[in-house]
Amino acid sequence: MKQYWEELTKGIWKKNPILIIGIGMCPTLAVSTSISNALWMTLAATIVLVCSNILVSMVKSIVPGHIRIPIFITIIAAFVTIVELTLNAFQPAVYQALGIFIPLIVVNCIILGRAEEFANKNGIIFSALDGIGMGLGFGLTLTVLAMIREILGANKLFGLTLIPGMEPSSAMIIAPGAFFTLAFMLCGMNYINSRKKE
Amino acid sequence: MNNIVKPTLVLGLIALVASMALSHIKKITYPNILKQEKEKQERALAMVLPGFAVGDKVAVKLDGGEFVYWPAHKDESGAVKKAYAFITSSTGYSGDVVSMVGVDEAGTILGLSILQQGETPGLGARSVEVASKNTFWQTITGNAKEEGEMSPWFQQQFTGLNGKNKITITKKGDWDPSIKDELLSRNAITAITGATITSRATIKGVEKGMDSLAKALEAASQAAPAGAQSITGGAR
Repeated sequence: MKQYWEELTKGIWKKNPILIIGIGMCPTLAVSTSISNALWMTLAATIVLVCSNILVSMVKSIVPGHIRIPIFITIIAAFVTIVELTLNAFQPAVYQALGIFIPLIVVNCIILGRAEEFANKNGIIFSALDGIGMGLGFGLTLTVLAMIREILGANKLFGLTLIPGMEPSSAMIIAPGAFFTLAFMLCGMNYINSRKKE
Repeated sequence: MNNIVKPTLVLGLIALVASMALSHIKKITYPNILKQEKEKQERALAMVLPGFAVGDKVAVKLDGGEFVYWPAHKDESGAVKKAYAFITSSTGYSGDVVSMVGVDEAGTILGLSILQQGETPGLGARSVEVASKNTFWQTITGNAKEEGEMSPWFQQQFTGLNGKNKITITKKGDWDPSIKDELLSRNAITAITGATITSRATIKGVEKGMDSLAKALEAASQAAPAGAQSITGGAR
């Protein structure tokens, strides 16, 4: 039981995909401009991550080692397309809100990274838990980053103005702001972890 | 030998299963997607031509591409006012920004609606953002004002501009009703902060569309004798 809990929670701090493993930076920097973007991205990526982890761990026994990457890519891409088509047809409101985030899942290397690193070596239940945990870790990091950027860069929170009349720093909303904030977050994370070890 | 045959078979099999699943799902979802797109187009038409009776869609071949427009008309104190809506696109920061524009005969823009864009979230994608005027504190303390139906501010500011003249860009931050008169007198829009390329692409789309509309109308009036060109057919 303890191991199940361990697989679920490791993504949040100990093996946080962005801050510790250092993958999935591309969508992180691109969509962390507002909290609502961050939450939609987390939802979209986590659904695909959990499902692709389950599928990969199901087919792992018939996949020859040296061609596993093209096979994983095929599974992930097929899954992203299925999600996109289904939402477009039956949930137009959600599809409209997610919009660009669905195709952006493809550039999220957390999904391929977890398929290769974890789902390829572990069972179905562990893989699903790993997917949920990694999704949570991704989402939390993204939300904190987006909150800082939205407050400083747009003077807004959840799309609502904080201080009327104040001119926000637009550097925070464009790419450099994402790099600065991420660097400070990495720095803080490493500081806390290095203190823990001593 | 086994090193070549087995991987080929496995990869082929998985690709086959994936493409079969996709084509099946495409077949199920396609009618619904078409329906959604049609509804979206009708909503956009109602938005860019408010109060007008919209006629049938006209598609013409122009400069090697297809140009689509809708004639429309409205009775205004006895006189019939004509207007047109057209679809235009221009290259933005990532891919095309496709918009629908409604103009009257004088070239005044009646409305603009961005149908499709793939711009950066938080920057160019704010071209479709609907901004609330309430502040965060007003909302969490329950003092928010009722705002009714809101439309995206970036698109809203095109209404009233003259599409036949050059539309310029100013950088005054987000659009606000208080700067509307100044922008109208200068035939300008205020750009989205950090996304001038998207703002410029939208303007370029309008210019391109106005050109094509003029050409298409000229071709139509040459084909049919003056006065015979009916725009009343198929009013919805």
